[in-house]
Amino acid sequence: MRSRLGAEIATGSDMDSLLLRSLQSYVLDTFGTASWHEVCSAAGVTVPAFEPMLRYDPGTADRIAEVAAGVLGRSVDTIWEDVGIYLVTNPDREGVRRLLRFGGTGYADFLHSLEELPGRARLAMPHLEAPELTLDEVGPDRFELRCKSPLRGLQRVLVGLLTAMADDYGALCVIEPDADGCTKITVLDRQHTEARQFHLALPEG
Amino acid sequence: MQADHPTHRIELDSATLARFMPMHLLLDSKGLALAYGPTLAQVLGAAAVPGARFEDLFEVRSPGGAVTVEEVLARGGNRFRLVPRNGVKAGLRGLGQRLGPQGGILLNLSFGIDLISAVRDLALTDADFAATDLAMELLYLAEANAAVTRELRGLNLRLEGARMAAEEEAMTDPLTGLRNRRAADLVLDRLCAARAGFGLLHMDLDYFKAVNDTLGHAAGDFVLETVGRILREQLRAEDCAARIGGDEFVVIVAGRSDPKTLQAIAGRIIARIDEPMVFEGGTARVSASIGIVRSADFAAPDATQLLASADRALYAAKHAGRGRAVLLAAGE
Repeated sequence: MRSRLGAEIATGSDMDSLLLRSLQSYVLDTFGTASWHEVCSAAGVTVPAFEPMLRYDPGTADRIAEVAAGVLGRSVDTIWEDVGIYLVTNPDREGVRRLLRFGGTGYADFLHSLEELPGRARLAMPHLEAPELTLDEVGPDRFELRCKSPLRGLQRVLVGLLTAMADDYGALCVIEPDADGCTKITVLDRQHTEARQFHLALPEG
Repeated sequence: MQADHPTHRIELDSATLARFMPMHLLLDSKGLALAYGPTLAQVLGAAAVPGARFEDLFEVRSPGGAVTVEEVLARGGNRFRLVPRNGVKAGLRGLGQRLGPQGGILLNLSFGIDLISAVRDLALTDADFAATDLAMELLYLAEANAAVTRELRGLNLRLEGARMAAEEEAMTDPLTGLRNRRAADLVLDRLCAARAGFGLLHMDLDYFKAVNDTLGHAAGDFVLETVGRILREQLRAEDCAARIGGDEFVVIVAGRSDPKTLQAIAGRIIARIDEPMVFEGGTARVSASIGIVRSADFAAPDATQLLASADRALYAAKHAGRGRAVLLAAGE
């Protein structure tokens, strides 16, 4: 079997690593250590810890998610959507939510800012091969988000992020992913509930 | 250059000016404030009143020596740095222009690198910046960078932990939990290089082969584990006990050179190993022979020489009838 030490494998993508680490945190925090170890041993992973800053074989994230789906008894789409929601709503990962909230003052602004997201991400991680995102405003409060990525799970992670961010902004919307990597977003009410507070700068310390 | 292009004169109402330049300051020809952009008004707080003098609002950091707005414009061209006098910790950069020969003065300011602390201290929001301002990108970058740095620091700690665990593993005999040959060599080299006084015990089990032959290898392993436990119990943290071969052990007793003390330690170890070891109903009986040398007996001790001498001492102990310890001085 190939070594699972990421440092030895330089061909993988950073996106795989980020998704793997997100999946790992989600399973650990939601289902516990035993479940994560079960997933890893079912997948033949000897060291049950993925590092976001190391690289893994391309497609590892999707492969592990398939195994996790079997172990946890839910669909792989549901798992990736939950990972997206987890990234925004988990109090320990406030950073992700904050970075996304810099996208704009309202949910529509935020949606439009998604096209800039890969560029923003590259500011901090110049080597990141962030997927290309295109947002089309197809009608009043109707959007279509397209995501080009070899990672199958990514579209569903985005669906989870969009869902959780709608809550964050207090918007009510319907989010429908289709099979071609296009996600339809219909905003029914921009101010359905009060948005969660967001301060541009974190308190010191 | 300007002559090549038609000059457009435009008039802006103050609301439009405020939208394009939320940190502008409009002064009359004498340098008294006429109007403040809404974000600059937040920076200046109670000081932002009509008629306030420029030099009462700001301390000029550059151009050096300038105090009044006239001096700023005259010396610094249209680039300058200011600090508000009200104690808000925000360096401001700006450019300014006199509007016509007798007209007022327009200054436009922006936060420099103090943007983040200013945003925090003044609780500024997205709406306080012009849409063209890169403030959001700077704030975003600062947080994204901090997150990446945090991850890298975490990764370093985890890798360091893994490295230490791997090193520990590489130095440990898995069966007994004692050190291995490599670790013992390193300790010996270190102590020899430091010219430290220490005792070296080379121990070999007696009748071990018989246990393996009659009770099986599991019993043999049990004996080795038991010996490992005995050595750990008999030694201090600063000592080093290693299994360097099948039933061969080395013990380095740090800081002990007195022959009686070393003999006493060896005697205690042999007495414990002599006790019967009960394994799955059967009883394993082994003993131990120990050869002892002292670093103090060597003019320039080195690991190879010490181990060879300890081996000779061990041979002498075996020859003398097993179950005993023999201390050899150098040259013996």
